[in-house]
Amino acid sequence: METRIGAEPPVVILDGALEEPLRDLDSYRAVGGYAQLERARAMTPQQVTEALIQSNLRGRGGAFFPTGRKASFIPTPDKVAKPIYLTVNADESEPGTFKDREIMLRVPHRLIEGCLIAAHAIQSKHVFIYIRGEYSTEYEVLGAALAEVRAAGLLADVELTIHRGAGAYICGEETALLESLEGKRGQPRSKPPFPAIEGLYDSPTLINNVETITNVPKVLELGPEEYAQIGAPPDSTGTRVFCLSGNVVRPGAYEAPHGITVRHLIEDLGGGIADGRQLKAVMVGGSSFPVMTADQIDMRLDVDSLAQKGLFIGSGVITAIDDRTCIVQFALRIAQFYMHESCGKCTPCRVGTRWLVQLVRSFEEGSASEEDFDLLLDVCDRIIGKCLCVLGDSAAMPVASCVTKFRDEFRAHLEHGGCPFGEDSSLAHLFAPSDQHHHNPVAQEAPV
Amino acid sequence: MSTPDAVRVTIDGQDVHIAKGTGLVETALSAGIEIPVFCYEPRLGEPIGACRMCLVEVEGMPKLQTACTMTAQDGMVVKTARTSKKSAEGQNATLEFILVNHPLDCPVCDKGGECPLQDLTFRYGPGKTRMSFEKTTFEKPIPISPTISLDRERCILCYRCTRFSESVSEDGQLVARNRGAMSVITTFADEPYTGPFTGNVTELCPVGALLPTQYRFEARPWEIVDVPTVCGMCPVGCNTHATVREGKVKRILSRNHPEIDEGWLCDKGRFGFTHLRAADRIVDPIKRVRRRGFEPVSWDDALDEAERLLRAAHGRVVVALSGSETVEEAYALAKLVRHGAGSHEAVLPEEISDALDAYRLPLSAIAGAQVVVVLGDEPVAERAPIVDLWIKQARRKGAKVVGSPDDDAVRGAERVVLVWSGPGGRGGARVAELAERLGLAGKPGCGAFYLPQTPNGRGVADAWSACSDDEPAEADSIGLLIVSGDEAAGNDNVRALAERADSVIVVSMFHGLAAGWADLVLPGTSYLERDGTYVNLEGRLQRLRQTVPPPGPSELEWISQLAARLGVELAPDAPAVFAELSARCYGGLSFGEVGERAPLRGYVDAPAHVEAPPVPEPAPSTNGHGLRLVAYKPLFSGPAVERVTELQFQRPQAEVELSADDAKARGISTGDSVTLGSNGSSVVLRARVNKRLRASIARVAVEHAGGLSGYVEVTRNA
Repeated sequence: METRIGAEPPVVILDGALEEPLRDLDSYRAVGGYAQLERARAMTPQQVTEALIQSNLRGRGGAFFPTGRKASFIPTPDKVAKPIYLTVNADESEPGTFKDREIMLRVPHRLIEGCLIAAHAIQSKHVFIYIRGEYSTEYEVLGAALAEVRAAGLLADVELTIHRGAGAYICGEETALLESLEGKRGQPRSKPPFPAIEGLYDSPTLINNVETITNVPKVLELGPEEYAQIGAPPDSTGTRVFCLSGNVVRPGAYEAPHGITVRHLIEDLGGGIADGRQLKAVMVGGSSFPVMTADQIDMRLDVDSLAQKGLFIGSGVITAIDDRTCIVQFALRIAQFYMHESCGKCTPCRVGTRWLVQLVRSFEEGSASEEDFDLLLDVCDRIIGKCLCVLGDSAAMPVASCVTKFRDEFRAHLEHGGCPFGEDSSLAHLFAPSDQHHHNPVAQEAPV
Repeated sequence: MSTPDAVRVTIDGQDVHIAKGTGLVETALSAGIEIPVFCYEPRLGEPIGACRMCLVEVEGMPKLQTACTMTAQDGMVVKTARTSKKSAEGQNATLEFILVNHPLDCPVCDKGGECPLQDLTFRYGPGKTRMSFEKTTFEKPIPISPTISLDRERCILCYRCTRFSESVSEDGQLVARNRGAMSVITTFADEPYTGPFTGNVTELCPVGALLPTQYRFEARPWEIVDVPTVCGMCPVGCNTHATVREGKVKRILSRNHPEIDEGWLCDKGRFGFTHLRAADRIVDPIKRVRRRGFEPVSWDDALDEAERLLRAAHGRVVVALSGSETVEEAYALAKLVRHGAGSHEAVLPEEISDALDAYRLPLSAIAGAQVVVVLGDEPVAERAPIVDLWIKQARRKGAKVVGSPDDDAVRGAERVVLVWSGPGGRGGARVAELAERLGLAGKPGCGAFYLPQTPNGRGVADAWSACSDDEPAEADSIGLLIVSGDEAAGNDNVRALAERADSVIVVSMFHGLAAGWADLVLPGTSYLERDGTYVNLEGRLQRLRQTVPPPGPSELEWISQLAARLGVELAPDAPAVFAELSARCYGGLSFGEVGERAPLRGYVDAPAHVEAPPVPEPAPSTNGHGLRLVAYKPLFSGPAVERVTELQFQRPQAEVELSADDAKARGISTGDSVTLGSNGSSVVLRARVNKRLRASIARVAVEHAGGLSGYVEVTRNA
């Protein structure tokens, strides 16, 4: 099924590719492709990094770290006797996220151009794109684009390697990605040392998300000052490819500037909630973050506005959850996902995610007690901020937010001795079907 | 106060001045503050921060930090669980999580009472569980080898064992499988965990997950004593503790000597101790009786017989030594026959030279070398296993490990260490000569090692020469051959000597070795039953302690009694014997000064330079096609190992190692069946291509070499 594409101007990342994908070199060149690479290569590496800093382009993988500053941490080749690597994180696996996939399918050359410009900025001669293993079409499209680029001699002295992952969510974590790329078990490394100093093969490595890197040619094309005016300056510049899903009329990938409201995305671009249902909550940023309640949807999607309410822009996920959804089932499904994807390296995540599943399930089954609210929140608290990487937090934060924001719904399960949401899993319309959906309906029909 | 190298770190309000970059765990410890750890173990390489036990608060950092992954920086302010509620809460949380799935079966766990998990739970953990669901369960215990069992329910996944396997022994056999809560430790492809160093994981494991099967249900910590001693299984002389319960050795543990073993042991040293209880252990003297064969006799009768045989030999006595006698035993034997019988002839199983004394280094210096030259073609791990770990460590730190002193890497390198592993080294003389040629004498960090086959060959030679300066007279016949120890008793050359002797006395631990060819058999003892000293391959004098009593009198006791019958005064205890010989060999050092962790003292009159004549390389193959056979004595062989059932799986494979070039030239790949032939005999073996092996040799464990010798033709079987 084709993903619906839409936009709210200005269009930056998917520029020229909203109607038809820009997959071949000629069509990309027709919209000015690779002109910025030529310009960048005429600039000094420092000038390119400086432009990125001025644009205040920030990481689209979830952490929103300033891209130019990150590039400036990479030592110059005269300072280290090691190769310098650029690694692009295309291991897009966050539930609800599908923007990198659309970017790779629609503007693969813009990604490659961004890679080569960024490689110039850090004086790297080897770029790796680590692509999610399940993305086979995307891998082929990107590979075909790379072949064209190589044949056209655009790589110059840079080597670009596309490496396929093997199905682990954790390999989207940057250091686990590096381990996996080195051929090791995909588990995160303790930081410091940071990848900028000791990354791939212990060498300085810049790691950026697909969407971030795809912005790079546009930063140069528009000029960093103009780019910095787009969106919600000064902190949230540029646009995002928002991933709108859940129970909306027109789900899809929508490029829109930072600062757009959740309501505008869901109601105007997405056509509102389908089937005349009521919005109950929104998964904003991705499954790793606290959920937004329906009364917060006038919030602007920029980092500062969200932070005030303890929310995150993450990887641009907006998943609308309507009133058919049992939040306990939702929390359980999230917890199960993270239990399944925990790498097992550090204690709180490995043990805590499983315990969370057991606890949330006991609520869903109605076998928990009132004291278990405190226990569940305390277990979350004992995970958050104590793990080796953020995966543990990613499990505990959304679960804790469901408990605190929808406590009554949890309590209803205890009172009913099971799930009051009827016989079918209430997640069927929200997530792709899975045998992991867990549901324990009460025997008799209960009011929703 | 802070110099460029020293920094000031404040821990729990205490100022600590310490070298910049020191680990935070060590920094705190230097101020007497404990930061609890599970996964942290500096010997395993870079810290991984996995267990989260060492969470501390560091000023300026919002989240709790793992102390194990942090290093001391100037001005750093750290709060541990003693002063930080947040840190205490974090550590308590970690322990709560660790215990969520732990079976808490301490009463039946061999680790109970000496378990870091128990100890830290008492100090930092919650007293009550809040976990009311089903715990993860696994099949248990799983024997990952005949010597080690794995309990996955007790495992806390600190990854110490897998890191050891990956980064210390570098065998890559122990791995983690699956993900998240279902992660388990396993061996690669479920094969038994095999290799010289596997047992170390049982000591690294901070819980009762990896345990030695020999110790299963054998003892509780409050009924054991750990006796410090030194391993006598090879010339390295690793420092050990023998765990003793009710007069029996129950297990061997490492006792970290940072210059010798860094706390690692090989499996022969660790698991070989059950030879003490071998079924064919000799506990009483045995005498050949005319027409009636052999029968046990009393010690008085045995000493009568020994005295008679000694006198009847009329000075034609030859002593065949094993090289595993203590210095004191060798001295006592020497004094008995040299002073008591006027005989000066001794046979050692191998040549021992003092030429290396100018190039002495602690083994740990190998790890600091820039270039390690490994000479001789026998596997280092088979002769002196721990040396192999030091060489691996050197390689991990960037050293080049080469096979020739003429390698380009040697030129210009500041720290060069030579290691001779194999026969033909003339007891170290050849490697000393090479060191001389390379100008290593007196250069810091440079030196040379010879890997002998006997644990105390040097000490035995020292003792023999300390007793008398008289030269042996050429005797055309042997009146009495005294065979001292199991290695000598199992030696074919010694057996040949026995054919020429009028009578034979054998001192041995085992019937299998002594029965049938001796006129008198006296029960031998093991290194675990002796008090005394050994000299290891570094030239380091070390102290052996009697960990358990031998079944009868010790060698020193009966030699002393026998000597008295011949009018020779000899003390029956090691300190007195040592005092007598020390002035001649060890600069008058007293027995008590040898020390629990002996320093490398060197020899007082060690020559500054060696003038050994250059020794020619062995002649090349005559026909130009054959490979030189290197038939080595494997680590897991010998009288003790043969008597330890659970070590039999470690016996070498029936395989031949070939260099990549030689294998390619013959169309051979690893796993192929090949035939080795020489002088009319042939052997079929499995081929293994070893990229590190030098060309033109075929390496086979001696027990698989059959009748092969010299140069062999190697062909691939169809």
